[in-house]
Amino acid sequence: MDERMKMFSAALLVGALTLSGGCAKKHVNEQPIIEQGDRVDDGSYAVAEARDRVEERQRQAADQRDIEAEALATCEGDVCDAVVRDEVWLGMNETQVLAATGTTEAAWSIRRSGGSTVMTPRDVGMMPSDAVGAVTMVQLAGGAVSRYGYQESQGVRLVSTPDQATTEGRAAEMAEALLREGDELAAAGRLDAALDRYDRASILAPDDPLIDYRVASVLDKALRPLEALIQYELFLHRLDLERIEARGEASARLAEAIALAQQRIVILERSR
Amino acid sequence: MNPGDTMKFNSAWSVWLAVPLIAMSVAACSKTNVSRIDPGSVTDLSGRWNDTDSRLVAAELIDQSLNGGWLDRYADANGGAAPPVIVGEFRNRSSEHIPVRTFVGDLENAFVNSGAVTLVAGGNERDEVRDEREDQQYNARAGTRAGLGQELGARYMLQGELQSIEDEETSRGVVGSRSEKIVFYQVDARMVDLESNVVVWAGQHKIKKYIERPPLGL
Repeated sequence: MDERMKMFSAALLVGALTLSGGCAKKHVNEQPIIEQGDRVDDGSYAVAEARDRVEERQRQAADQRDIEAEALATCEGDVCDAVVRDEVWLGMNETQVLAATGTTEAAWSIRRSGGSTVMTPRDVGMMPSDAVGAVTMVQLAGGAVSRYGYQESQGVRLVSTPDQATTEGRAAEMAEALLREGDELAAAGRLDAALDRYDRASILAPDDPLIDYRVASVLDKALRPLEALIQYELFLHRLDLERIEARGEASARLAEAIALAQQRIVILERSR
Repeated sequence: MNPGDTMKFNSAWSVWLAVPLIAMSVAACSKTNVSRIDPGSVTDLSGRWNDTDSRLVAAELIDQSLNGGWLDRYADANGGAAPPVIVGEFRNRSSEHIPVRTFVGDLENAFVNSGAVTLVAGGNERDEVRDEREDQQYNARAGTRAGLGQELGARYMLQGELQSIEDEETSRGVVGSRSEKIVFYQVDARMVDLESNVVVWAGQHKIKKYIERPPLGL
């Protein structure tokens, strides 16, 4: 009996110790990595290292100045003006493209194949840019720029003719892109967003009556009859009807738009 | 009152007068000790956010930002130029009052002194400069006026935030209460392209502190 009691007491003691161990607080036994009285770096080493790299970069920038000098020495006419304006232009050579974009070859991934060269940004996150915008690619044929592209909010805008390189050409291209985007939004039922694109396109291409027609149709679909009516009337008013001949695809499209606009005006006026 | 009583009375009064006088004279003689110490030294008193934490964060963010590949990539794409950066808001989302300008200021100094970044003034600083420029248009001599519309547009904005997590336990014993506290600070900084919203660099520094207060200050 005594033996049993002893064993029971021992088991009770072990159990109690285990329980008290389980309830005991967990102490933090990590060693400190910085102690009182230590000294802390102020980042001056990193600054000195960065300064050295900047100086190295400035030495490399001298190469850039050489590129600009060579670009200006070898240019003529519009190309020269474009180099001075820091703008890529048709007919430029590779050096002039580097000068216009203020880059060295390090910024580009250059592929040469026969007489053709394609320059694309090495880092898409940091595209080289000229005075107009971020340049997505430059294509050279026979050593002269034949086509180049800009990253615009509506996508890539390609320039392959001198007209497209002018301010008017750029505006027309952007208006076209906005109209395309507006059409897609209208087809997806996002009528407010489509109206926004058409409004922006009308600023860039104020003489295009088809934009008014698009605005009128979207307003009509958005159940805004009064505004739609005004836009339909504006569209018809702005057309010089006598000059329209129902010949060719564009005119046919216009003629169809006129017929539809007139039809909608009648309907909308009756429903007033 | 007999002479013996008078003496007792006088000595009692002198004791009562002497004690406060001695105390006052001791207080008058005690000095406030002020010493100039190395600003780089680690001096922790309460365990709260202090100058050491600020310097640790600054040093780490300086190192990470100046050694990040984004500077080289920008320079390659821009003829070796330094990226123009504006410092945006650093939010303190911790439970403490933390002056974030101390380490943000260190970071700005490093940017300017290294020459790796072109720092553009923002916020109140910019407003003050604009006011002065505006004033010059009316009051300064023609040849000395700062031109309008010549500001450098920043390409990147530095933004960040500071957060903290605390864990604390106090145990009461016979000789007083013993408290243990863990404070974790995390500082995140980001360089965001103002045109594309692309985060071109992200830096981070974490500080974990163990603060122990033994019972009766033992």
